[in-house]
Amino acid sequence: MSTSIDVSTVTSEGHDGARQLAAARTHRAVKVYGSAETAVRALDGIDVVFDRAMFTAIMGPSGSGKSTLMHCLAGLDDLTSGEVWLGETQLGRLSEKQLTRTRREKLGFVFQAFNLVPSLTALENITLPLDLASRRPDKTWLDHVIETVGLGQRLAHRPCELSGGQQQRVAVARALASRPEVIFADEPTGNLDTSSGAEVLDLLRLAVREYGRTVVMVTHDPVAASYSERVVFLADGKIVDDMAGPTPERVIDRMKSVGEV
Amino acid sequence: MFRTTFKNLRARKRRLLTTALAVTIGVAFMAGTLVIADTISRTFDDLFADATEGIDAAVRGSQSIDVDFGPEARNPVPETLVAQIAELDGAAAVEGQVSGYAQFLDKDDEPVGNPGTGAPTLGFNWNEVPELNPFELTDGGPPSGAGEVVIDRGTARDGGFAVGDTIAVLTQAGRGDFTVTGIVTFGGQDRPAGATTALFETTTAQDLVGEPGTFQEIAVVAGEGVSEEDLVTQIQAIAPAGVEVLTGEQYTEDSQNQVQEGLSFFNTFLLVFAGIALFVGSFIIYNTFNILVAQRTGELGLLRALGASRRQVFGSVILEATIVGVIAGVIGLVLGIGLASLLKLAMAGLGIELPGGAPVVTVRTAITALATGMVITVLAALVPARRAGAVPPLVALRQRSVEDRALPRRRTIAGGVVTAIGLASLGYGLWGEPGNAIQFVGLGALVTFIGVALLAPVLASPFVKGVGGLIAKLRGTPAALAEKNALRNPRRTSATASALMIGVGLVGFITIFAASTKASIDKTIDDAFTGDLVVASGTFGFGGLPPEVADEIAALPEIDLVSGMRFGPARVDGEDTGVVAVNTDQMARLADIGISEGSADDFGVSSFGIHEDVAEEKGWELGTPVTIEFVDTGAQTFTVDVIYSENALAGPWFIDTAAFEANYAQQFDAQIYASLTEGASLAKARESVEEIVDPYPAAEVQDQEEYTEATAGQIDQLLGLVYLLLVFAVIIAVIGISNTLALSIYERTHELGLLRAVGMTRQQMRSSIRWESVMIALFGTILGLTVGLVFGWAVVSALADEGFSVFQAPVSQLVVIALLAALAGVIASLRPARRAAKLDMLEAIMTE
Repeated sequence: MSTSIDVSTVTSEGHDGARQLAAARTHRAVKVYGSAETAVRALDGIDVVFDRAMFTAIMGPSGSGKSTLMHCLAGLDDLTSGEVWLGETQLGRLSEKQLTRTRREKLGFVFQAFNLVPSLTALENITLPLDLASRRPDKTWLDHVIETVGLGQRLAHRPCELSGGQQQRVAVARALASRPEVIFADEPTGNLDTSSGAEVLDLLRLAVREYGRTVVMVTHDPVAASYSERVVFLADGKIVDDMAGPTPERVIDRMKSVGEV
Repeated sequence: MFRTTFKNLRARKRRLLTTALAVTIGVAFMAGTLVIADTISRTFDDLFADATEGIDAAVRGSQSIDVDFGPEARNPVPETLVAQIAELDGAAAVEGQVSGYAQFLDKDDEPVGNPGTGAPTLGFNWNEVPELNPFELTDGGPPSGAGEVVIDRGTARDGGFAVGDTIAVLTQAGRGDFTVTGIVTFGGQDRPAGATTALFETTTAQDLVGEPGTFQEIAVVAGEGVSEEDLVTQIQAIAPAGVEVLTGEQYTEDSQNQVQEGLSFFNTFLLVFAGIALFVGSFIIYNTFNILVAQRTGELGLLRALGASRRQVFGSVILEATIVGVIAGVIGLVLGIGLASLLKLAMAGLGIELPGGAPVVTVRTAITALATGMVITVLAALVPARRAGAVPPLVALRQRSVEDRALPRRRTIAGGVVTAIGLASLGYGLWGEPGNAIQFVGLGALVTFIGVALLAPVLASPFVKGVGGLIAKLRGTPAALAEKNALRNPRRTSATASALMIGVGLVGFITIFAASTKASIDKTIDDAFTGDLVVASGTFGFGGLPPEVADEIAALPEIDLVSGMRFGPARVDGEDTGVVAVNTDQMARLADIGISEGSADDFGVSSFGIHEDVAEEKGWELGTPVTIEFVDTGAQTFTVDVIYSENALAGPWFIDTAAFEANYAQQFDAQIYASLTEGASLAKARESVEEIVDPYPAAEVQDQEEYTEATAGQIDQLLGLVYLLLVFAVIIAVIGISNTLALSIYERTHELGLLRAVGMTRQQMRSSIRWESVMIALFGTILGLTVGLVFGWAVVSALADEGFSVFQAPVSQLVVIALLAALAGVIASLRPARRAAKLDMLEAIMTE
């Protein structure tokens, strides 16, 4: 079932320095919604590189284009112009089918809500991308992931029998199970109380530090952003700042000024 | 409050239409039936009104026997009455009428028209009085001698006959060649209702299609200033016994009523199928409204929280149902008119040319269609509407879940009770022998279907887990998801499947019933018929082979025993029915009818043979006198001389051919049975018989095996029609599956988006929806086949006394039905699956 994507035909143009390290990057990414006078430039020529094995947060006020950027990076949406690269693959050149396969083989997702298929058990949800690809899960790795997220007792439960925090942990486990190159998290703590949120964020950080995954997280919560190693600030479809080693205070300060921009 | 209803309706126009469609088909079916019935009866009314316009008084035999099929039988009136009436002051013109069987042969010696489909082949005398002649000459002139005939324009056209040509006609006098002197139409129609018409000069007609010295009727035209009533009074004064006199008006009405009666069976037959379609449709409506209410729970809760009363919420759902019902009624009516035209075309294809032009849409039809559509929809929506009203305001504040709650136990109990009641009613109708058995059986079947539908959710889980699990093992994750989704809401799955169950159940029942009937016929004929050859007249009860044919066959050296079989209307012990007549001494050796009492040896002209069931039911025994009335000879007393146990060939009772000849004017053999002389060759005997039968192209010589096959084959014809009509029920069920899936997909938009995001391909998505549909369809089919099997077994075993000796469930045909149902599932999933696959992923994820 699984098809490997022929990356050799998709060559990178320029940015050679970043090429080795970049898990994902964009080149003059533009996304326009609507047409003519009602057109909105959600992404206005964004150039950004997300390094391998790094935890990056994307922040910005509502309508800044942060979710759009993530959707385009994850192949859930396409650009109006410009390029999105995932490793050495340019997403824009992939067919719908190849995109789907790329998502299930190279990407992991944690959404804000409704992360799980209600009719499947926790374990079935975790192995879903592998099952869809007809791949046999690596038992040792799977056990390890389950142990890490701490769901051993609840594997046979269905999502409606799990708390919000447990549901998000299942989602993280799912994102880890297939050992994706990049995990995209869209407001993963948005619906959680503080301590459940902290657990989920710890897990995402663990994925980077222990397992060398790349995590890109969209959030508007400064505390959540402080778990990352780098914060990219967006406003009006443009990158307005790039901060390394964020703390909640620095993020809040910066957000205030972005809000004023 | 009602504004929200309209907003809801407008927002989901497509769903509204597909929902309405489920009822529309049933309504269309019903409206079509009514339209075609009205069209036919209006046209016939007009035709008869035209044809009988000139008649001011009609004289006919007062003895009548009304049998289920064909026109009523009457005794003839004496020819001499015509001259007597002519002398009356009030009569301006008078003429006798003759009618009977006349079959044209075309230039290849093939029968013209389609007697096999029931279209009559008629012969009449040519009426000289213009007022009394309903035919219009379009070419040539009237017949004037023994060798002349006037033919209908349809026959002239189809057979390529023109004035001056010679045409062969089969009548009770055998085959004869006639010169065509004229070509006619009737009420402007070439061949109304497909009937062929041969018109002879009166004396010739009496010889060929009537009875010399008599008329079937005498038609009289009143003189200037004489009222119909006066004329009738004058005629009555001179009329002999056994004759009745009608005014022209009464006569017209009577003719029209007879057509109506003939049509009513046909109408009832079609309306039964319309009823089935509506019943299936109501399941779909019920299901759709249930889903809609479930999906709107949050919204309804909000309305309740904002102050809407239970009644208002209930009312808004009912209003929605009413609007859907009215739309369904209107579309159904329009489609029904189209359907009527299609049906007419189809019948014309079968050779039954229906007269008349534009379809007749009466106010009654329109009101019935609209009311039915509305009432069925509202009734089906009652329970969902109550559920909507019962939504507590608090729900609006809570997160809703698409998961179904556990099934209440009382529903299962109710299902069991309802099923039991249904089966009990079915059983009572079948075995209890009440007067209105059909009603009990029909109602029992209906209630059983409802009961099984109530029980279905309990059965759905094990079924889907079993079959679905197997498919999931073989077909991977999409199929496994399909299984989970089908299981998610067993009530919805089974309500959807139940609609299919009804159609499949009936198809299964008919299949089993037909197979059992055929097997039983095979067996009884094998057991009962010990002869070697059968000549079937091929005229299906109308006319047949003249007695000379049987005589000629009997004279063949290769043939030992011969018996013709004749049918005639008779009133036996006060009941309008028919009798069979055979050459008893020969027939007793040609067939083993299991004579248990008496002997066929001295079976005479007033002997009566009865089946043992009749003996038991009526309390008759050997020597009991039984009164049989005939239209020609009146009441005659017969004596029970034989009681037998096998009715496959003889039916419930029979008389001797000699008795038939003594009591009927017209003599035709519908069938001739024969056996070979010891040592004669079958092939040679057959050749000789075929030579004798050669002038009768409709007749067919069959050996025992062919005879069995032909008898059983008649069932296939009817079966085809029934299947065709049941297809509508299945189509509605498929629409239902498609509709439910579409609604479920809408409900799962989010989840589907998630699945796509984490890597489900479009193809996997389609496959998943398809499997879900197939699982639902298979579940419905298995339920249906089970119910069909039970019905089939019950009906066949209840009819064991009527000769249903074999119960047969044709496995291969039932498997084909199951496969077709799976295919129906695939078809039902096409549109929903495509929509699910095309789903905008981002929008789906971001919803809510």
